[in-house]
Amino acid sequence: MTDATLSAAGFEPVQVDRQMQQLTRPSLSYWQDAWRRLKANRRAFISLYIVIGLLLFTVAGPWVWTVDPSTQDLDQVSKAPGSDRRAFIAEPYQPWDGVRTAVPEGPASSAPPTNVKTVGTTTTQAVRLTWDPVAGVAGYRIYRNIYRPTAGGALGLPLGDALTPDQVSFEDRLDLEPMTYYYAVLTLDRFGQALSAPASLGVKVVRVITRAQAVERKLVASESDAKVGDTLQLALHPFGTDYLGRDLLARLMTGARVSLLIGIFAPLFYVLLGIAYGSAAGFMGGKADSVLMRFADFVVALPFLLFMILFKIAFGIGPGESGIFPMLVALVLLSWPSAARLVRGQILQIREEGYIGASRLLGARTGYLVMRHMIPNTMGVILVTLTFAIPSAIFTEAFLSFIGMGVAPPTPSWGSMCNEGIRTMLTTPHELIFPAVMISTTVLAFNLLGDGLRDAFDARMRSRE
Amino acid sequence: MKDAQTAQSRSTNRVAARQLLWMGVGAVGAFVALLFVLGWLAGKTGGGQVAGDGIDVKAGSITISYPFEPPQLDGTRATDLSSSFVLGHVMEGLLRQDDHGAIAPGVAESWQIEPTHAIFHLRTDALWSDGKPVTAQDFVFGWRKVVDPATASEYAFIMYPVKNAEAISKGELQPETLGVRAVDDRTVQVEFQQPIAYFDKLATFKTYYPIRQDFYESRAGRYGADAADLLYNGPFTLARWVHGAQVRFEKNPRYWNRDTIRMNAVDIPYITTDSAAVMNLYKDNKVAMVGASLGLDPEQLKEVLVQRWPIERFNEGAIFFMEFNHRDGRVTHNLHFRKAIQLAFDPGELVNQVIKLPGYLPGQSLFPEWLRGAEGLFRQEYPAMPPKVDIAAARAELALARKELGLESFPPISLLSDDRPLTVRITEYLQARFKEELGLEVRIDRQIFKQRLAKMTSGEFDIVTAGWSPDFDDPMTFGDLFASWNLNNRGRYAGAALDRQVRIAMGSLDPKTRMDAFGKVQSILIDEAVIVPMYERGQVFVRNPQLQGVVRRVVGTDPDFTHAYLGPN
Repeated sequence: MTDATLSAAGFEPVQVDRQMQQLTRPSLSYWQDAWRRLKANRRAFISLYIVIGLLLFTVAGPWVWTVDPSTQDLDQVSKAPGSDRRAFIAEPYQPWDGVRTAVPEGPASSAPPTNVKTVGTTTTQAVRLTWDPVAGVAGYRIYRNIYRPTAGGALGLPLGDALTPDQVSFEDRLDLEPMTYYYAVLTLDRFGQALSAPASLGVKVVRVITRAQAVERKLVASESDAKVGDTLQLALHPFGTDYLGRDLLARLMTGARVSLLIGIFAPLFYVLLGIAYGSAAGFMGGKADSVLMRFADFVVALPFLLFMILFKIAFGIGPGESGIFPMLVALVLLSWPSAARLVRGQILQIREEGYIGASRLLGARTGYLVMRHMIPNTMGVILVTLTFAIPSAIFTEAFLSFIGMGVAPPTPSWGSMCNEGIRTMLTTPHELIFPAVMISTTVLAFNLLGDGLRDAFDARMRSRE
Repeated sequence: MKDAQTAQSRSTNRVAARQLLWMGVGAVGAFVALLFVLGWLAGKTGGGQVAGDGIDVKAGSITISYPFEPPQLDGTRATDLSSSFVLGHVMEGLLRQDDHGAIAPGVAESWQIEPTHAIFHLRTDALWSDGKPVTAQDFVFGWRKVVDPATASEYAFIMYPVKNAEAISKGELQPETLGVRAVDDRTVQVEFQQPIAYFDKLATFKTYYPIRQDFYESRAGRYGADAADLLYNGPFTLARWVHGAQVRFEKNPRYWNRDTIRMNAVDIPYITTDSAAVMNLYKDNKVAMVGASLGLDPEQLKEVLVQRWPIERFNEGAIFFMEFNHRDGRVTHNLHFRKAIQLAFDPGELVNQVIKLPGYLPGQSLFPEWLRGAEGLFRQEYPAMPPKVDIAAARAELALARKELGLESFPPISLLSDDRPLTVRITEYLQARFKEELGLEVRIDRQIFKQRLAKMTSGEFDIVTAGWSPDFDDPMTFGDLFASWNLNNRGRYAGAALDRQVRIAMGSLDPKTRMDAFGKVQSILIDEAVIVPMYERGQVFVRNPQLQGVVRRVVGTDPDFTHAYLGPN
């Protein structure tokens, strides 16, 4: 014990080691922490990329793909993506008077017409048929099939009748496609009943386009650039065309504008309204709170569809004009209570926290308390509400446009495109699939993103990691 | 200790999982059982009986679907196609149409039609379904009901050829003064207001059916409201009518011509406009026809082609057109504007590229192709000469119109239409077409059918896509449509030249004079661009090949199963 010696050095003040007090890890703000956890959530992050991609598709898309979404390309109606686009240049269509010949005298025979043949070239403009007259019949009926005829089998589409025996020709212009058709001609009695077996003929049809059409559709620069007989490729439609030959990709882009406009702005406005309303109610508390919240309950009970129609009338939106604005107004005016309730609940909880009391004792005013302490602390809830409100608003828009309450033709929206596509679901499914996939992807992406944001903003999750 | 706890908790988990599994199985089982019970109950209590096969050879019956049920079956007030269809099977007028559309004896076995009057001799074996004979008084009573202002029949005008009918329906005369008289129980005498060329055709029409006074009065205002509230004198009776669900015809054992009726029953347990559902029913052999009333749409047609079913085509007789609003103050009042639309529109492209159905014909005239003229077909005797499509000329006309109207540019054009899918397609095509070719902004005003009619009547449109189905087999059914006094002339076109021609046709009995007048009406309509014909509606439909003898009619009962029969398979 006594060995201990004291030196002067022992009495010098200890050097303050500043390093000790420094945090070894970087400090994270609430937002940085949320961002870090969002990045760790792969699902949410992919969804974020999808949402950004969608915004680019909507905003930048029409700059890249500059096709007018309401132009009708009647050469390519209801074409799936990747269809054959080759066409020949031909002379413009000339009306045809048909062929009339003298009918041989003789008793009625039940033999089929003979010598059925085509006249001129067989193109998508027209297929012209003639045959030899048959004695004693009242007329002829012409069928067109997509299958090779079999004995006693179906003859296909009944195209039309020639109602006099001397009219031995028929011109088919009905929706001709570049493929092989099998025509059948049979004779009729005076009551329009089939008299003979059909005489059939296979006809290969080629797609043609006139020079004027080629110029009009901007396939060639001027009429002198194309001669009759040249082949060219019709306009490219990467996603195919709809029932009026309109470009689906361009329509999806324009449709996305409407869908995302409603999907983003309506929730933004009503969440803001909900914040203001809910924080006022929560902060005032007491009687004011219960009056305000009963009013919110009242608004919840109002039927959305009815009000949407009422707004449409009140704003004097005539038929044939877009119903998007009343839809936005109806959404904002009727959807805010859920956000208001959430915010009010949060505010009520935060109001009782110790730091609010401290802040109040230090002389903070109401406005400062709300803006500095309460709103930032409810931000997480608000953002999550917002991201979940977006898909539901997109759905509402799609539904309303689907039932014809939304956009006015020819403006597309994803919902109205689905409505158009569903009629041809079995024959040309791409018209339904593309807009439906767009709606589903968007809604899923926003939902997953909202899910990720909720996890990211939840401060309690921090301790679990 | 810790291990024991974990083990215990594991076994608890296992027990809980097993319980959950059993509960799940139980819940699914209970749900399935509930479905069965509900299904059984629905079968017990449901209105419609379980439907049979499309073709039932043993019972001699067929099953079909029909898009609408009749609102009511009082022939004096019936206006729509479904009433025509049902009444045509269960009732019979003085005359009827045979299977080829010619006039055939009905309740009257012989008749003479003179310029001033007509006499019908009724057969003795024409009976009501309660066994009492159909008498001349029943016709007198029924016809007076039609023109009685208290009935407010929309079809009272079709009775106007009968003397005093118009005055009675306007309330100027008593119903008893109507020019129809029962000379005795078996003789009906009709006085005409003015000579009429087609009274035999009118006598087949549903508004001219008989009504028995004692039965009518015993129903106390419910006549025709239900199957039991109607007396039948036609080839079939209405055996069953469950509103909104089922209509069933059964052969009328008291019908005078019962030996020619081969079908025992026609059952309609599917009253639906859902054509896809009917298509599936046909696939399952639950109905004997698809598209029997509305026709198939282009998408279904593709499927029918793939199925290789035989397809039939039928020209319905109706014409559809763009009707302009001729009221003052509308741009469509201007002839040059209308000409521009007429020149820019190609009915061939519309039918071949947009409608894409083989039953349809490009519209050329208000008078459809099937109408009979003086000798042959009207349109072969008086070919319609619509101007050829000429965009440059159309633009020139539009410039003229702008100058005449003193407009900088045209206001948006309101295109009124109904909301059927095909009309939606057509109006969108027109919208793009007029925008592209003429630079016109077109707003589509899509309304349900009734609302469209109301807006047409009040004149809230510039252009409307309208149509007209014939009421009787004479060009007059179309010819007077745009006469200035016709209430169906909803665009309010008033042209003295057209009115004069219609009056000539009305006042004459000579076929040549009348057809000449209609020919002039046709060219006035084209020259003045009163309307722009779009298409003649047709239908493509599929019929089970075993079902034969079904008659499709342009006018009257369609489809007509009166003489249908089941052939060999």
